[in-house]
Amino acid sequence: MQKRNISPNNFEQCVKCAICTDFCPVLKVLPDYPGPKHAGPDGERLRLKNALFFDSNLKYCLNCKRCEVVCPSGVRIADIIHSARDRYGDIHPSLRDRMLANTDAMGSLATPFAPVVNGTLGLGVTKSVMDGVLKIDHRRTFPKYTGRKFTSWFRREAASLQDAYFRQVSYFHGCYVNYNYPQLGKDFVRVMNALGYGVQLLDKEKCCGVAMMSGGMFDAARRNARINLASVASAAKEGRVTLTTSSTCTLTMREEYPGVLGIDNEMVREDILLAVRFIYEAIEKGEAKVAFRPDFKARAAYHVPCHQEKLGWGLFTRALMELIPGMELVPLDSNCCGIAGTYGFKKENYERSQQIGQALFDDIARVGPDYVICECETCKWQIEMSTGVEVRNPISVLAEALDLPATAALNQRTNFALKEVQS
Amino acid sequence: MKFDVIIIGAGSAGMRVASALQKAGRKTAVIGLGRSINEVEVRPYERLGGTLLIGDSVREGLFEGNRLTAVHTVNLGAYPLKADRFVIATGKFLGGGIVADMDRVYEPLFGLDVAYDEDRGGWFDASFGAPQRFLRFGVRTDAQSRPSMGGRTVENLYACGELLEGISAVDGREEIEKSADKVLAILTQADHAEA
Repeated sequence: MQKRNISPNNFEQCVKCAICTDFCPVLKVLPDYPGPKHAGPDGERLRLKNALFFDSNLKYCLNCKRCEVVCPSGVRIADIIHSARDRYGDIHPSLRDRMLANTDAMGSLATPFAPVVNGTLGLGVTKSVMDGVLKIDHRRTFPKYTGRKFTSWFRREAASLQDAYFRQVSYFHGCYVNYNYPQLGKDFVRVMNALGYGVQLLDKEKCCGVAMMSGGMFDAARRNARINLASVASAAKEGRVTLTTSSTCTLTMREEYPGVLGIDNEMVREDILLAVRFIYEAIEKGEAKVAFRPDFKARAAYHVPCHQEKLGWGLFTRALMELIPGMELVPLDSNCCGIAGTYGFKKENYERSQQIGQALFDDIARVGPDYVICECETCKWQIEMSTGVEVRNPISVLAEALDLPATAALNQRTNFALKEVQS
Repeated sequence: MKFDVIIIGAGSAGMRVASALQKAGRKTAVIGLGRSINEVEVRPYERLGGTLLIGDSVREGLFEGNRLTAVHTVNLGAYPLKADRFVIATGKFLGGGIVADMDRVYEPLFGLDVAYDEDRGGWFDASFGAPQRFLRFGVRTDAQSRPSMGGRTVENLYACGELLEGISAVDGREEIEKSADKVLAILTQADHAEA
């Protein structure tokens, strides 16, 4: 006798309680959206009978995963929805969707001409053309491209200094660090070096694929997934865990590769970790020692990004930030910021995206912090654009709060000081 | 990471204990699969500084002698969450706190001792309105609300809510709240005794 139902993404475990529907941020502002229960497990039953039951409104799902977090029965509702888009959706991505999804290609194209691209993207005329032709909303502020990719900086300034450390980690930097904000990657390298860890890039790194999945390009996402998993596996074989600074890349590689793309990652799943978790654990176990700057002072609000909430690791960020003397950390109420990666860039989603984020924006205004701490780059764009309050990754906060030379001395295993990376 | 008290279960009993303890200045964490109740109770708890592991569930407990020292959860993998004391309030059959097989009724997390009728024939009454025996099954505790495993009391684990023998949500919230308040009183007194 089969004692338990075994169904893809647990859809048969749904008891129809509809808590997911209550917590769906899209449904609150778009009553026409079928909602997670109907779009997910209920719809799946129908789709299994006949693919014609597929509803194109499923594209309004943010993939924030709040439905999965609140589900008492462990149903992976968002994975069901996105698998259905892959399997049944007749998706022909537009030029815009392809541009938004191919972060690697667009980043490589833009970085050599960054000043021109950044200037042009900021112009009113460009924005109205993009709005009219591409349907990218003109009210959206574009993240700046960097003139020098993180990987170029790393190879020139940091790579040769890394082998001197007695222990090593790999770094999955992600598209944002590479093409938009290399400073975060530099902060990561400086913090890890001070803690006594050398940093290596992966053999090959591709975009985690989340933007491709969102744009309906599932096969392209699968190609990236296989390359990334092979790289993480080869790093693991050499004894290095792969650390990340983005909660979404992490969740995608750990949960969505198997859940949405159907790619088994069991062998390397536990080798993919957010840096905040790794660092906190190392400090707690006494494997890494820290010395903080005595003059650091900040009042920060912590926004747990939806994907960090799904990973369930927000407590590590909080605990790590609370180790910093002079840090007053105020946790914000759990809310979605509304941007959901490329979702909020699309003209048809812009209004909704801002409506969804309003509760979070109000909460930030209530707290009135010096800055917001958050592990997600797209939340950063959304919060900075919508509230004017700066958003920092916890790793950058740590880089500022640590007395890096003193920390390096505490973790030193050589009888001479190792050369510090210049950023 | 070590807490004063970890509460397993984010239902009304668990949140009641957690919020009161957090308000009294204890460092607490709640592990709960699903927001079994609404933001009305969860939000204030988080604003008090409580740690809510939402969407997570306990995989196993680590015991030393008759004491529970830490729990492993699904999301945290190999990372143990430690605490001086634990509260279990995982509910009855619907919440998964108590599971019934063809031949036995058990508590699936730690294998706590459960009181139930040996005679399966009497578990339920076919008449819908009749009192149902199975709704009375649940974890048996000592006078200090502590459950046992294989007859041995777990010294620092406290049970409350619908998980308990004799309590059912069909009777309303009062009994559930009373059991939570009892655990709360015991935990607060235990702290005083140690101080």
